[in-house]
Parts: sequence; C-alpha cells; structure tokens
Amino acid sequence: MYFLGFSMTYILMAWSIYLPYRVKHLHFLAVATMAVTSYMGGILSVNFGWSFLPTLLLSIVIGALISYLISHTIGNAPTFTVVIVGITFVFIIKTAIENTDYLGGTIGLFGIPVLDHPLIILFAFLLVIGYFLYRIDHSRIGRAASVIFTDENLAKSMGIKPKQIGMLFQTISGGIAGSAGVFYAFFVGSLFPDFFTFHLIGTLMTILFIGGYTTMWGVIPAALILRGVPMILPSSIASWRLLIYGVLLVAIIATKPKGLITKKMLWELLKKRSGS
Amino acid sequence: MRKYVAKFMLIMLLIFAFGSMTFAQDEVAVDTWEIHFLNSVTGPIASIGEYMSWSANYAAAKINEEGGIRGKPVEIVIHDTGVQPDKGIEEMSKIVDDALVVMGPVPEAVIMAAVPLAVRNGLFCMTSSTSYEYTVEYFPWTLSWYPPTEEKLPPVTELWAEENPEMEKIVQFVEKWAAWPGMAGAHTIGLNNKNVEVIDIEVPKDAVEFSSLVVKALAEDPDGFVLTCNPDKAGKIIKELVNRGWEEKDNILVFSSADDTALYTTGGDALNGISIYNYIDPDSENERWLNFKQEYKEDHDGKNPGSLATNYYDSVYMIKEAIEEGKLTGDPAKLAEERIKIRDYCRNVENFKGIQITWSMNEGLPTSKPIFLFEIIDGEKQLIGKSR
Amino acid sequence: MHILEEAFRARGKLMEFFIAQVLNGLSLGSIYVLLVTGFNLMLLVAKIIQFAYPQFVVISMYATWAVLRATNNVILAILVTIVVSIFLNLLSEPIFRRITSIKGTDINATFVASIGLSMVLVEIMSHSLNQGFPISFSDNWVGGSVFRYGIINISRSSIFAWVGGIIVVVAFFYLLYRTMVGRLFRAIAENRHVAKLFGIPIFKTSMMSYLIAGLLGGFIALLLSMLIGTASPWLGESVALKVLAVSIVAGLGNLKGGLFVGLALGVVESVAIGYVAGSWSNVIAFVIMLIVILAKPKGLFGAAVE
Repeated sequence: MYFLGFSMTYILMAWSIYLPYRVKHLHFLAVATMAVTSYMGGILSVNFGWSFLPTLLLSIVIGALISYLISHTIGNAPTFTVVIVGITFVFIIKTAIENTDYLGGTIGLFGIPVLDHPLIILFAFLLVIGYFLYRIDHSRIGRAASVIFTDENLAKSMGIKPKQIGMLFQTISGGIAGSAGVFYAFFVGSLFPDFFTFHLIGTLMTILFIGGYTTMWGVIPAALILRGVPMILPSSIASWRLLIYGVLLVAIIATKPKGLITKKMLWELLKKRSGS
Repeated sequence: MRKYVAKFMLIMLLIFAFGSMTFAQDEVAVDTWEIHFLNSVTGPIASIGEYMSWSANYAAAKINEEGGIRGKPVEIVIHDTGVQPDKGIEEMSKIVDDALVVMGPVPEAVIMAAVPLAVRNGLFCMTSSTSYEYTVEYFPWTLSWYPPTEEKLPPVTELWAEENPEMEKIVQFVEKWAAWPGMAGAHTIGLNNKNVEVIDIEVPKDAVEFSSLVVKALAEDPDGFVLTCNPDKAGKIIKELVNRGWEEKDNILVFSSADDTALYTTGGDALNGISIYNYIDPDSENERWLNFKQEYKEDHDGKNPGSLATNYYDSVYMIKEAIEEGKLTGDPAKLAEERIKIRDYCRNVENFKGIQITWSMNEGLPTSKPIFLFEIIDGEKQLIGKSR
Repeated sequence: MHILEEAFRARGKLMEFFIAQVLNGLSLGSIYVLLVTGFNLMLLVAKIIQFAYPQFVVISMYATWAVLRATNNVILAILVTIVVSIFLNLLSEPIFRRITSIKGTDINATFVASIGLSMVLVEIMSHSLNQGFPISFSDNWVGGSVFRYGIINISRSSIFAWVGGIIVVVAFFYLLYRTMVGRLFRAIAENRHVAKLFGIPIFKTSMMSYLIAGLLGGFIALLLSMLIGTASPWLGESVALKVLAVSIVAGLGNLKGGLFVGLALGVVESVAIGYVAGSWSNVIAFVIMLIVILAKPKGLFGAAVE
C-alpha cells in the first residue's frame, strides 16, 4: 500500500519537474514549494482543523502563486540560473522551518491526520493532472515548448514567446508541486525539514531522466521501478540503493540520454498499433 | 461404587484434557523469536547505528547461549532506514502485519514517520534510545527510557558548574538537529541555576570548517564552552579552540550524544582534560557489563562502548522477560493480544536488571537513571561525579 | 530578534573580529577558487559540467589519509594523492566522452550524469571507506598556529592554502596563456568545430584537460586535508553546490570571474557566520548570489560558454 502511495506521490512530484524541463528549466523551486505547502497543510490541519480537500485546493493556489511571482524574473532565464534560484529557495525554506518552533523546528511536525483512502484519492488526482498535462503536451503550447527546447532563437523567430511559456510552465509546476506537498503530508502524517532538500532533488532527477524527459509517461514506470525494486531486494543489497540509482542514471545518459520512454518510441508503438 | 469411580475417572480425564489444552496454549508456536529492529546503519549516524546493532546482536547471542527464550533461539532482524523517513515507513509497513515487537526506529525523523503506522496497527515500538518528547504523543505504543529533557539534564550542567565555580559566562555550540536544541535549552537551565550566563552559537549542519565559528565564540570572552553538536564537529571545534590558545580544558563540556568514536578521532589529544557526560556507569562491576565492554573493545579497535550502546542490549533482554512472564507463544492467531502484553510489561516493569543498573518504569516513565560526568584523559573517561 | 541580538553583542572587539573572519574567509575562498578553476577547465575544454569534481577531491583525501596511516611518509602521501586524483579524473573521461558524442545530448546531460556519478561516489565512501566513519588527519600533518594576536590566528595550513592557491592560479594562467597546451585549450574553448577543422587533436587535448584537472584536484585534496583536518563522505556535497553556484554567478567558464567570486564567497561566508546565526549564513551567501544572478543572468562577468 505504501509502495503505491509513495510511487504515486513521486510521480506527481516528478511531473512538476518534468513540465518546466520541456523548456530546459530545472525548476528546483518546485521542491521548495513542496516544503512550504506541506508544512502549511500540516499546520492548517493540526492547529486549525482544516480538512484535506480545502487544504489541497489552497496549496495548489499558493504553489502556483509562488512560482508565478518568481517566474517574472526567471521565465526565460538560462537553465543554471533557474537552478540557482531553486536551490537558494530550498535553502531558505529549510533554514526558516528549522528555526521556527511553531513549525516544529528541527524536531519536526507530527500528528497530521492521515487520509483514510489515500490511494484512491491520489490515483484520481493523478488522472486529473495527467489528463491536464497530456492536453498541454499535445497542444500548440506543447509544440512551441519543443521548439524552444531545441533552439530558442528559432522559436523566437517563429513568433513564439519563450518567456510567456516559461512562466506558464513554471506556474503550473508550482501548482502541481503544491499539491504534491500536501499529499505527502497527509499520507505520511509527519514532516521533517530535511526531507525537501537535495536528496529529494536527486531522486526526482533520477526518476525524470531515467524515465524519459521528453514525454510525461516516462516518470510513471521510473517511479514504480525505482521505488519498487529496493523493496523486493534483500536488505544487504537494498542499502546500496543510491549507488544503483547513480549507476543507472549514468548508464541511461550514456546509452539512451532521452530516457527509457521517448517520443519516438511512443510514436512507433502507436504506428504499429494502427498499422496492424 | 462403579458410578463414583466412573465419575472420578471422568473428572480426572477432564482435568487432564483441560490441563493439556492449557499447556498446549502456552506452547511456543515459533521456531525462532524474531525481533525486528528499525535502525540506521548507513547515512549520517552510521557509526551510532552500527554499535546499536552490535549490542542487540550481542544480547541475542548471549541469550541463545543461555538457552534462548522459552527454549527457542532469538534472532535480531535489522532493517536499515538510513535516517530516511520514507524508508522508515517502507520497512515498518513490511513488518507491521506479522511482527511481535519492533525495536527502534532510530533516529527521531524515522520515529515520527514510522511510529504512527505501527500505532494504527497495534504494534509496540521499543524506542529505547530516544528522548521523552518524541514518544509522549504515542504512549503507550512506544516508550522512552529517558525522562523529559528539562527534568533530566539541568542537574548535570549544575554539577559541572559546581566543579568549575570560576565560570561566569559560557558559549554553547548548538547544532539544530532533532532533539538537540531542546537539550541545549536544558543545559542552559541548569547553568542559569548556578548563575552562569549562556550564549548560544549555532553550528550549521553542513559546516566543514570552524574557524569563523570559533572566532565568533571567542569574541564573546567566555569562561567555558558546552558542545551540543555532532561528535565529528565537537572534536573539530575543540581542536580549533586549542589551536587558538584555549587552555582551561575542564571548562569545556561535551554532551552525551557526541560521545562516540568520531569525537575521539577528530579531537585526538585536544580532548585531554575536557568534561563529558553520559549514561554509562564506568564503575559498574556487573559481570555482564565487563564482558560486554571487553567484547565491544575487541570488535571496535579498542574503543569504549558508546553512550547508547546498552539501550538495545537491555531492550532485547526486556523483551525476553516480557515473553517469559507472559508465557507468550508467538502464535500468529494471538498476535494482537501478545503485542499488548509486551507493551504493558515494558511500560510498568519493576526492578528490571539492566546491564548496568536496575531500574523501573512507571506508566512509561523511567525512574532512577543517573547521569555521569567524566573527564577525558588520553581517550579514557575518568569519573568526576554523578547526578540524580 | 535573535539574529540581531547576536550581531550587536559581537560589536565588541569589532576590528579584530572582522580581520579574523576575513582571514578565515580567504583560506576558505582559496579552496573555492581552486575548485572552480578545475571545474571551469572541464567546462571549457571538455565541455562538461563536472558536478562530481569535489567528490574526486574528497576520495583523494581518503587516499592521503590511508597512506599517512600506513606509512607516515609525507612524500609518498603527496604522490599517491595526486596519482589517485589524476586516475579518477581520467577514468571518468570515457564516460563523458561517450555522453557528449551521442546526438541529442547537451551540456545538461553531463550535469545530470555527473550528479549520478556523485551519488555513486558518496555511496561507495559511506559504505566502504573506513566503514563510513569520518577520517581525521594527524596534528603533524595539519600543523598548528603560526601567528596569533588576540583572536586573530594564522595557522600553517591557512598559509599553505593562500600560498598554494596563488601559486596554482599563477601557474594555471601561465599554462593557459604562455604554453602550447594552453593555446590548444583556449582554441577549443572558443570554437570546438573550427579547432577541429584546423587539425587540433580534440581527443588528446581533452584528455590533457582531464589530466590537469586531476593534478589540480590532487593538490586541492592535500590543501583541504590540512585546512580542515578531517573528511567525511558528505564533505563533497556541500562544497559541490557552492562551487557550481560560484561558477554560475561568475559566469559559466569565466576563469577570472571565478577567482573573484570564489574568494568573495569565502569571505562573505566567514564574515556572515561572524555576525549571524549559523545556518542563516549559508542562506545569506546564497541570497547574495541569487540577487547577483537575477540582476545579471549570464553571470557577473559573462559566461564563456552557453
């Protein structure tokens, strides 16, 4: 049960990183956003008795808002600028949480009421977000994003506005990340400031790049495999988990840099289906 | 006459049948007692996790030598969580349906993530190495062998202040991790009780060099220092202080959670003369302790057992007692009730003979566990005093 | 507020305090400068973002420690450290060459791959080297104080760090601007395709850059071991982020910029620690870098590479 729950949460988180990367932005701000909304969700439910649904909705709004405001400056910034901005906010949020006793400080926040049927709710939500992403990917905006990814100048000459698309994607990513934070909080029931940091960034990068960053489908098998395999391995090998992730990551980049599932592969799969 | 004999035989038969049924009910239903232990053997506290696993395994080996628990051997099943909350939940979810009892989780982040799951499933967690603040929320499904920090620690720093009465102002290096800020606060209470002013300086978790921190501390013109940070950093800070000319070593106090191998490795000779406190009674003449200490030193390059080394040794023995007292069987059909029996035994155990001291639990709170203050000389600890 | 309280208290021995922190910062800064230089070299010539470069340095520190522990021979330790560092860097070359040669990859792919590499190295260190426990260098190696005035303290290792840093940077720039190899490096950095057309051996020169980065890395390992006195598997992680940040803020690939920003970061960090509570000093350093990068997205001194 936990396997599926965590996998689905990771899929949601990976999707928030996937979208901005369509225009080459490694939007680590999403992780900082997750930290913010998860704690917000925790406080609202524990101290103010808010239930899950309103907390979820509020977090999506707040997440999107944070990213929207910041995207004004980094909407069309070079990749690494976006990286630094994201990392800085991760640091700031983490330090702020650790130093605030109301949020549980370094001890953490616990007692968040856990959802009764988390899997169903998560799954339903994933379907909604998945559909939404699918529509974006297959729209004019999605195609424009692909052009930006390949060559920004070419895109500009075609009348595409990278900044607008960058801002849009970052905002949506913020909303998704906001929801992921709340799902995590209501799934695990407790929060620790150390969770939403570089370790998580590394895991999400691994999922995105091994799964395939050119389509939204890649993260699904990647999250399931990366979470699932350590559970069935014997303990002695399972503790080398991060090493295996690292090796897989390097191997994939060296052999299939676009990840396991690529647009080309899906296209061929569909062609075969319609051909036969 | 025959009727009476028949009745008598029938009654005897019934008694015998009943007796054997009860006896069968008490029969052990497992081939091996599995005690699961959610530990962190990799990651930032690997060195502490390692010796806790060692102690648990050592206890199991000793118990098996002595005949096992109710005649069956015991095995410790270690689950590594590497200080990752989600890993903790994962490992707990694997055992929450079948385990009789679980030791740990270790450390606090994992407790917070994984214990709620155990509580929801009626599984008792022996979190013997953590502070009260982390477990009070989940009583009685978990426990702490340490009373609330604010009660327990101030007497130690008071004692230290009494030993060094010339101190009027000290700087405390605090690392913001888990329960340590709370412990730092308790240190301060004790020192303030003896009219010593305390100035806290935060040690960032990812600090690699400490010159700037030490300069900042020295600028306060303190008479002494307290180190409430991880052992590695504590050693380095002390070394840096010594390098900058600090000489009054007994005016430096290191807290118990920093008492492990890394402290001695990084601090080296700079540690000579400094004070440190922990829960291990050095004078204990208890034979079990002496044997434990010796084998520990053999397996750990001559180092003395770390401050939390005895907790899980004692935990294994306490579980053994709970099983024996309650005549538990390990029968899966009786899992729920047997888990409760272990829980209730541990929560109110009386005069438990731990490897070092004998103590009791009263509704999940321990009674009579002293703290010891030492001076470090050449890597060995010399007792200065004892509190509480 | 707590932070301000601390700042006011520290105003006591103002000047002495400030100087002491700046000196600390210069030592730390020298290390950052050296790391950024190696990092930028890889960026310019090999066209890779080597996030795992600091991890190579940390592993080399473990090598230093192992040799010193086994033999106590200083010369041997120095040699072995440098050899190990060069070896590790050269070993990574085929991986990166493979990645950059595949169609459809760009420099981001090398970044992600180097993150993977970094994960692998940290895991190996935390599982197998010294059983994952931190290592410590002897007092003889680290050296003690050379000059002390009040709270200002200059240790032998800081002097090594400064002097070493200056020598290396000067030597490096000499290499770059006054030797044939340097000319080749610059040619490739400016325009790889044209350089190829002109018959410049890309492969050999690229290998050369790994070699030099390895040499530099070994040297950094020695300096770091003296300056910090200990090492642990996680040492590389905290430094790697800062090195990446310095490079981005200075302008990716901008060597001279890296010098300035590296030193500046060291000083800012140390001074910040002096006046502000510990973990916030980290935040301050990053916030300053954030402001700089938002004002000048291509880096303070302009990127030499896209």
